[in-house]
This record gives sequence, C-alpha cells and structure tokens, in this order.
Amino acid sequence: MRHGSGIRYALLGVVSRNPEGVHGYALKRQCERTLGSFWQLNFGEIYRVLDRLAGEGLIEQVVVEPESSRKLYRITADGRRSLDDFILAPPTDAPRPLRQELAVKLLFAAPERLPELLRLVDHQRESYMQELFRLGVQRRRLARAAVDAFVTNLLIDGAELAVRAELAWLDEVARKLQERFPPTP
Amino acid sequence: MIEFRQVTKVFGRGDTVVRAVAGLSFVCPRGAFWTIMGPSGAGKSTILHLIAGLTTPTEGSVLVEGVDVAGMTAAELAALRRRRIGYVHQAFNLLPFLTAAENVGLPLVLDGVRQAEVDARVREALAMVSMSHRATHRPTHLSGGEQQRIAIARALVMRPAIVLADEPTGNLDRAGGRAIMDLIHDANERLGVTVLLVTHDPVFAAYATRVLRLVDGALQQNMALPDDEGDSRVRLVRGRP
Repeated sequence: MRHGSGIRYALLGVVSRNPEGVHGYALKRQCERTLGSFWQLNFGEIYRVLDRLAGEGLIEQVVVEPESSRKLYRITADGRRSLDDFILAPPTDAPRPLRQELAVKLLFAAPERLPELLRLVDHQRESYMQELFRLGVQRRRLARAAVDAFVTNLLIDGAELAVRAELAWLDEVARKLQERFPPTP
Repeated sequence: MIEFRQVTKVFGRGDTVVRAVAGLSFVCPRGAFWTIMGPSGAGKSTILHLIAGLTTPTEGSVLVEGVDVAGMTAAELAALRRRRIGYVHQAFNLLPFLTAAENVGLPLVLDGVRQAEVDARVREALAMVSMSHRATHRPTHLSGGEQQRIAIARALVMRPAIVLADEPTGNLDRAGGRAIMDLIHDANERLGVTVLLVTHDPVFAAYATRVLRLVDGALQQNMALPDDEGDSRVRLVRGRP
C-alpha cells in the first residue's frame, strides 16, 4: 500500500488527530512517527497529496495568527465523513504476488543450472531474514518508546506472517528443485 | 569465543552411521548472538552438545575460549558447564521437588557458594526475568513461559560467558516465545553474554546478528543480518567467519 488511497487516508488521519489544526512542520514529524515504518515518505509527494485533499474540500488551510502568514491544516466535516467511510469499507489490499522474478528464472533455467538457482533461493532467503531482523528491531524499539503502538504492532505481526510464508515457500522451492533435478553422480 | 575447526561428528557405525556434523568450521566471537537453523536431524543440537562437552568430535576440534574441549578432564568439563556455560532447553528441565528459587540457586550450591551469596544472586536473577513473585512456587505450579523464565534465571545465575539455548521457545505460544526471546536478547545486549540459539522459527532466529543454516550437518548458508545503528556488537561479528 505504498501509493494510492492508503497514503491519502493516512495523511487525512494524521490531520484529523489535530482538531485545532497542525502546521506543516509538525505534520511532517507526526507523519514520520506514525507512518514512517510503513511508507518511504517523500515530502514532495506528501504536499501534493495535501493539496489534492484541500482541493477536494476534505481538509482546509486556516490562518490562526492574523499577523503571521503561517497556515494550519485542519480536517473539514466532509473530510471526517470520508475518513469514516474509508475506515469502515473493506480493505482492497490484494494478496502479495508470488516472487515473479524467481518464477521466471525457474521457468527458463535448464536443470544443470540447479546450483545457481539454489543460490538465488538462498539470496532471497537472506533478504527475508534481514527483513525479519528489521521488524524485530522496530518492535523492540516501540516497546521501549512511551507511545501506544497497538496498531503498529498488529501491522508488524502481519508483516512477520507474510515473510514467514515467503520463507516457507522458498524452503519448498529448494526442496522440490532438488527432488526434480537430483545431482548426477 | 567459540571455534569449530573442521568438526565432524559421526554417530553409530557400519550401515547405521549418521554424520550429524560434517566438516564444520566457524569462529563465533565473544558477545555475538548467533542462531542455528535447519531441518530436523541437521545436527543443530549436536553443535551445542559439542560446545558444552556433552559429546566429543569424531574429527576436528572444538575450542571454547581458546581451550580444546576434547583435552579437558571430567572435572574441568564439569566446571566449564557449571561456570562458563548456561544451558536452556526446550523442556525447561527444572527439578520438580525444588522451588523456583532453589532451582535457580542449584548451580551456585553445587559450586560451593555460601548461602548468603546464593540468596542474593538468586534474588537478582529472579528479578532479571521478572519472576521474584514466584520464588517459592514449584515448577508444576508455573506456566510454561514462567518455567522457561526460571530456567533462564538458572542459566544466568553463574554469570556465564556463553548461553546455549536449544529451541527455548519450542513449547511456548507466540507471545510466551517472544517474551523468552526478549530476555535472551537482553542478556546478550546488557550482559554481553555470547548466545548460540537453535530454533525453527525464522522470526526468533532474526533476533540474532548472524544465522547459520545447516543441512545434513554442513553449513548450507551463513547469513549476516543488518547492522542495527549504534550497536557495536554487530560490527564485531561482521565479516566472520
């Protein structure tokens, strides 16, 4: 959910947590804290999304101090309704695709390339283990931080389960490749 | 430091011969946290047994802190296991007729430590695993996760240089397993204990800084996990073996 409606509603959600309004810098920091683990945040993109939300009337920009030009972003009544609709609608996340690149390599590699294919599987396994390591570091860091990380922990649970499934699949691939192409003595 | 030099371990003979470990070499530096993964029968537990001197290599040598385990006398081996190595098992292995505190204090008592110091160090170890409130309970009155906490306190009470953990989460649910892994991680990070952990669970394996994957007793894959910022321990492990 790196692009599309996810980031749009994530930003709308962050704005909604500031009923008095929030200025750009604080919003940026809140986004990093709340969303930084799940999106590679590009702040140019964030401001484009904010402009679009404002254009649709879901958020508004207000000037609170007349002598200052600083503007605050604040959610509108329409914005609240839209966020509610989004939260209650069924998620549209599709299951993650199989490892397409590995699949293509398997389709077109000859049996004598088995050692190289197994190395590819190993390489993929290592990157998944590194992902699990990062998730673990993130979970322990959250446990030490004095913030409520209930939802973030749920998301980490989900990410761990997904990686676990991929690792189990790689073990299957390695085992079945070896069965299908036994080494010639 | 734990070093394997071309270690082979063969069980049985003739037609029933099993090579549990096949020409394995590695250097595990002091303070490292490694996990060993692999299918059942890949030789994972045998590696821990070899380090603790519970079995001897058929070929090659195992060095613990520079000393060849095979060259130790029975008394030296017993001292190594009691003082330098803490062992954590899947089945907890607590003595049912002793209280939690007595189980934790047992290695100290066997080592001839005087009672006042035993009491102080048991209190400290129980506090470390958040089990002070269960000190007088017997193992049968504790949950699996609590029993494993007691077993970890027992493993740490001698302030060992090395902790060997053989599927310590195998009998626990996920939350219980994670709590145990957090304790082992803390022991490594805060006390600098070298940890070698055998596990089937990739999520728990990823607590380590390096994962060895064994197949048929041989090293199939040696995976370095990413550097955690500000963690000098990880850099120490990098680039080896």
